[in-house]
Amino acid sequence: MTAWLVRRVAASIAIVFLVVTLTFILMDVAPGKPMLGPTERLVDPQAEAILNRQFGLEGPIDVRYVSYLRELVHGNLGLSFGLRRPVADALADAIPNTLLLAGAALLIDFLIGLALGVYQALRVHRIPDVVLGNVTLFLYSVPTFWLGLILLLVFGEWLGWFPVAGMSDPILCPTVSSFYCAMDRLWHLALPALTLGFVGAAGTARFQRAAMLEVAGQDYIRTARAKGASERRVVLRHQLRNALLSFITLFGLAFPFLLTGAVLIETIFAWPGMGRLATDAILRRDFPVVNAAVLLASTMVVVGNLVADVLLAIADPRLRVRSGGGEPA
Amino acid sequence: MLSAMPHQRRLALVLAMLVLGSTACQRAGSCTGAYCGTLVFGVVGEPDILLPPSTQEGVSRDIEEQLFLKLADIGLSTNTIGDEDFQPLLAERWEWDGPLTLVFHLDPRARWQDGQPVTASDVAFTFDAYTDSLVASPYRAALRRVASVTARDPQTAVFRFREKYPEMFYDAVYHMRVLPAHLLRGTPRDQWKTAPFGRQPLGDGPYRFVSWKAGQSLELVADSTFFLGRPAIRRLIWRFTPDIMVATTQLVADQADGHDQLVTPDNIARAAAAPQLTIYPYRGATYGYMGFNLAANGDTTQPHPIFGDRDVRRALTMAVDRASLLKSVFGDYAKVPPGPVSQLWWIWDPEMRQLPYDTTRAKWTLSSHGWRDSDKDGIRDRDGQPLAFHLLVSSVSTIRKTYARLIQEQLRQVGVQMEIDEVDNSVVAERLAAGKFDAVMLAWQTDPTPSSGVPQVWTRGGFGRSNYLRYDNPAFDALVEKATSAATRAQARVAWRGAIETVNADAPAIFLFATDNVAAFHKRVADVRIRPDSWAALVRTWRIPPDRLIDRDRVER
Repeated sequence: MTAWLVRRVAASIAIVFLVVTLTFILMDVAPGKPMLGPTERLVDPQAEAILNRQFGLEGPIDVRYVSYLRELVHGNLGLSFGLRRPVADALADAIPNTLLLAGAALLIDFLIGLALGVYQALRVHRIPDVVLGNVTLFLYSVPTFWLGLILLLVFGEWLGWFPVAGMSDPILCPTVSSFYCAMDRLWHLALPALTLGFVGAAGTARFQRAAMLEVAGQDYIRTARAKGASERRVVLRHQLRNALLSFITLFGLAFPFLLTGAVLIETIFAWPGMGRLATDAILRRDFPVVNAAVLLASTMVVVGNLVADVLLAIADPRLRVRSGGGEPA
Repeated sequence: MLSAMPHQRRLALVLAMLVLGSTACQRAGSCTGAYCGTLVFGVVGEPDILLPPSTQEGVSRDIEEQLFLKLADIGLSTNTIGDEDFQPLLAERWEWDGPLTLVFHLDPRARWQDGQPVTASDVAFTFDAYTDSLVASPYRAALRRVASVTARDPQTAVFRFREKYPEMFYDAVYHMRVLPAHLLRGTPRDQWKTAPFGRQPLGDGPYRFVSWKAGQSLELVADSTFFLGRPAIRRLIWRFTPDIMVATTQLVADQADGHDQLVTPDNIARAAAAPQLTIYPYRGATYGYMGFNLAANGDTTQPHPIFGDRDVRRALTMAVDRASLLKSVFGDYAKVPPGPVSQLWWIWDPEMRQLPYDTTRAKWTLSSHGWRDSDKDGIRDRDGQPLAFHLLVSSVSTIRKTYARLIQEQLRQVGVQMEIDEVDNSVVAERLAAGKFDAVMLAWQTDPTPSSGVPQVWTRGGFGRSNYLRYDNPAFDALVEKATSAATRAQARVAWRGAIETVNADAPAIFLFATDNVAAFHKRVADVRIRPDSWAALVRTWRIPPDRLIDRDRVER
């Protein structure tokens, strides 16, 4: 398995390098020019030219690319001309925010989704299963931004139960204890996390229900029952554990979301995360930020897949046996 | 431990946490009296940097109004000619020493917030920085007619001009905010664009910088020792939002106290319906138009095959009902401009001569120039070429996109086909600079004077700058030159009127809207005065009477 792991890591690094290179080239050839200021204000072309030079936006692409790679190797992600600060600083601000939102959303997604999926599978074709199936289908079909707007309107604007935007109260947080501030943050987190979590949970529930039902017909489930195992043991030890294998793959796919964020939800709830950072940067052609965001996202995708494969190998003894002579299935 | 709890208890705990979160935000403070108060402004976007010569974003300028003073500032009239309507700030007085020399006497009470006095050396340093090419200030061009600024003594700054003109005083004071030389001298000028000072500034204004949470908010606190009088409102907080809808929602939900430009009739209606808000309309600084590229698409050496013809441009202008479009898009919150003019400018005059809305004459003009619908497909053509073109529109501007669709329909009525190219701002900017477009929907946010914007956008001197349409009429240029150098306001008015009527007759663009800005602020705020060129300029004079304080006003930091 070690040899396989080394090969996978090497391939992952190559993929990231390729993605970063392609992004650099595509951003350069794509239409549009770096926006150094607002479009509705008059620009001084001389000042613009000086800033372009100072931010390294001039010169042949090969020279800029080599310079970019050289700085990247030294851990320097460059300067954002839109934010007027080092890209690393901007990422350091945005990543924890996105981790918080996406982490909470994934928690809601997987906890609710998993529980609902198992519950439905154990009551298949009965009323609770049919009702929950329709509810999850509805939620799964709903665009996330629409659900976000509805929750915002009802619970934020009309009922006033939750804040409508931002991730903390700027007046109170500096004046209260860190406990109250954490509670305030949780309060601000509720609507965006629930929006993302509900939509995700609907998909997860349907996925988990199908996985549970597929496993339920397997020989080893019948064998476990024939050996007199309790229903609780059959479900938890045999059915759920095996059904979770596909769930691990699902988690691997969701993993990159932890850092890349949810663009629309971050916009609707004014959540200052990676999604908003990257979108703003793309719109103003803030190349250093875009390149860094893509680097981060591609790294997360390959790491997510790698982690999922490793977890699968750990969870499924059959894969461990097969991986002894080569790759896991 | 949590897992050992019964379900009901766990649920109760989670609910309790949420309630605590919400109640934490309702804790009342203890501040009372005339100097309490916290205002939260919901704004679209975030500052780029808080170092005035390097600032590009509007929200940065609003915050800098509170942190850094000018020598003097324009009055509520926004009159830019002469010096009589200007208000003293850092300079307690000034006098003219001959036609080209202006002498400012600084207020000896003025202090930087680290206790150092503000001196004439700071003023000279500031001018040097603003005009240094390494700083690349967007205001550098506006200072080109100031030859030098020197310190005669610590309290006296002397401005020398290259020539005499009516807006000398405006140029001397309006563009520059005085900077602390002792704090910035050590920073290389080519690094000012990202200088740490710009994220943690120290100024001489009515408010001190407290904190800036990237992507979230920025806080200022009143300087109780401010030499022009302690600001009545103790804390100002800017909350950053990604778009106007979110900002309006925050405002309506009473989670922000104000927003300076609600922009659309929908947002204005929502704010007007909120019982805690008061609406404040004020003159807008923006005008918008659909401009015709007078040069061929992608080749500035050739005239455009359609828009190179003045009569065709005039016909297209007459085919568009600007008043009805305005009503559809803005409701009552904008005016049809009498040319390339914003409501902020003192030359605004609805009586200026313009082309009428006259579809009969438009059709006749097009037909008489050979544009007829020979193949009966509803689109006029000439020599086998249809009367068709593409309109470049920013995909992020709802207003301009709506205008584009409405104009498309109106032009179709007279047999003109217009395709709409919606692209993002960076593509618009690139294609404008390269001349790769037929027509474009544009809007400009203007300074208080036409003297800077009009030459850059509409004269031959603007080629390579912002005259993307390549409009070129020597008679117009001469009138603009005459207006900007006129000795009196009356002479300037006559020349400006002639210039604007000339451009209207040439019809390089269809001038569509000049916005009325509408702000909304919490009704507990008293003495709200908004200067049209900069809504935040007078915030230090606003107040919240003690009997109107609410919980967030009383919170102690």
